[in-house]
Amino acid sequence: MSTWNLNTWKISTKMMPETAKPETAKPETERSVSVTDTHKRTGSSPQSAQAKLVLNGVSHQYGDGESMLTVLDGLSCTVSAGELVAVVGPSGSGKSTFLSIAGALLTPSSGEVQIGGRSLAGLHARELADLRLHEIGFIFQGANLLPYLKVEEQLRFVAKLGRADKQQAARRADELLERLGLTARRRHYPDKLSGGERQRVAVARALMNDPSVILADEPTASLDADRGRDVTRLLAERVKAEGKAGVIVTHDERILPYCDRVLRLENGQLREG
Amino acid sequence: MFLALREIRFSKTRYVLIVTIMLLVSFLVLFVTGLANGLGNATSSAVRNMPADHFIVQKDSDDRFARSTLHKEQIDEARAVAGTQGAEPMGVQMTTVTKKDSDSKIDIALFGVQADGWIVPKTVEGKGLTAAGKGQVLADRNLADSGAAIGDTIVDTATGMEWTIAGYTENQSYSHMPAVWMNDADWAAYRSELMAARGGEADTSYNTIALRVSGDQVDQLNASLSDASVISKSQAIMAIPGHKAEQSSLLMMIAFLYVISAFVLAVFFYVITIQKTSQFGILKAIGAKTRYLAGSVVAQILVLSIGSLAVGVALVLVMKAMLPAAMPFSLGGDTVLLSCGLFLVVALVGGLVSVVKVAKTDALDAIGRAGA
Repeated sequence: MSTWNLNTWKISTKMMPETAKPETAKPETERSVSVTDTHKRTGSSPQSAQAKLVLNGVSHQYGDGESMLTVLDGLSCTVSAGELVAVVGPSGSGKSTFLSIAGALLTPSSGEVQIGGRSLAGLHARELADLRLHEIGFIFQGANLLPYLKVEEQLRFVAKLGRADKQQAARRADELLERLGLTARRRHYPDKLSGGERQRVAVARALMNDPSVILADEPTASLDADRGRDVTRLLAERVKAEGKAGVIVTHDERILPYCDRVLRLENGQLREG
Repeated sequence: MFLALREIRFSKTRYVLIVTIMLLVSFLVLFVTGLANGLGNATSSAVRNMPADHFIVQKDSDDRFARSTLHKEQIDEARAVAGTQGAEPMGVQMTTVTKKDSDSKIDIALFGVQADGWIVPKTVEGKGLTAAGKGQVLADRNLADSGAAIGDTIVDTATGMEWTIAGYTENQSYSHMPAVWMNDADWAAYRSELMAARGGEADTSYNTIALRVSGDQVDQLNASLSDASVISKSQAIMAIPGHKAEQSSLLMMIAFLYVISAFVLAVFFYVITIQKTSQFGILKAIGAKTRYLAGSVVAQILVLSIGSLAVGVALVLVMKAMLPAAMPFSLGGDTVLLSCGLFLVVALVGGLVSVVKVAKTDALDAIGRAGA
């Protein structure tokens, strides 16, 4: 299975009917089954409308001339609504570059990126910022909350940036805090929270503006095994429940069971496995 | 504002410290400004408050009234261009007087003018100058501090001439001395006595001519006057003994205070901004625009500056009320507003470095980094 080329899994995911997707995070033992299922499930009607994140033939080089370094080399992938994908790979394999490109922070040297069905080609910096605000939810390493905002203000702030209706935003924040078990912590500053709670706030913040895509950059790096699993489980739950396309870039093997697919970044390409 | 205020709320100590510094600096700015104004008035208010726009002085007099001597021909020349109404001859002489039957000396500045001319200041108490009132003078109210009241007689120590204080005027000070105004007959008498006492020939000349003229007339006068030139009012004020030295040193202090406050703010906000670079990276990554973040920095600077200015102004006003009357301190509402406006501008200039830093922060910094 590790020898699958990119096109194979890309087509297979596109063909995969949404209803067949697991509703919640699966326990560890079912993981291999799910990958096999995915492989088997072909021939159904195409779900291209459900493909929230599409990277098509993306290449990226750093430097110029003789010292040119190719980090991504014709990378393609599609992540559908309700799907949580883990991207793993050794250091220096280009995970950060992949995430930056998928997150509309970096324009690739070549190739196309679509987020929420919209191509990023030719968008200006301001339009990209707007797109990140509304269509992408970021979860960074070590939470990266603003230290001077209380938990509920972290959420209200992103809603405010997105010019969301205040009452609607308040309802959304209440709901997210409830779902992520943070209601009792809503008036606390981040420095009064545990690492796991902070990362849960980051998950809530990422979901606040109802984006199409959730991108997580090593979200469990600073958490112990239990907390890491906790956060990932909650993230998987929200991704399924709200029909987001979720991508976790991680080193942490322990959270892979909660992901629908595991992609390995090697030689500038993504491979199933 | 959302971020700006919440950050101040969260890091109270840090912001209280910077507000304290700014408060002290703004207090000092306002205080020194008040002092400079007060001293400026003490040296020049008699000239500053004159309704004249130009003065004629003798050539090579360094623009100083006391060094200038003008004769009848020059007065006629000036009146030929400016008209009788546009040119008022004026004598200026600093001297020392004693109150009659008293030994304590008082330094005064004598102004000899035509009693019905427009140059005579407004009388605020007692009687004004009249052409007929021989020996009747109009004195600045500050003379009262030296014990000379209306109706008292003062004696000139150089000539022994006696004058009676007929009334008071206000804000008429020259080179830290209260001004005393007398009519042209008294001036002529005093002047010839003075010259006689000094052993020179009797001379009834004036020192300067106050003008109300247009720019064209200034050019004409400069061309037609013999051994005299036209100077502007501000030139005349700058030439008052002591004025320039006092004002320039105080102005330098004020300018330095502004520069210091700009730098203090610049350094403070720059250090804070550098500390927060990764936060700004995160905020940009999640879609905050540079404009919003820069606006947040500017909002903080404005909140802190306005806050410290408000307290600074309040302190200065309390200080002003407590100062002794003899202290030359003058701070009007418009000066306070101007200083505050300037302070805000300077604060914003200081914050510019941070705004640039915010603008340069790259959203990409957010990826692959641990910790905020």
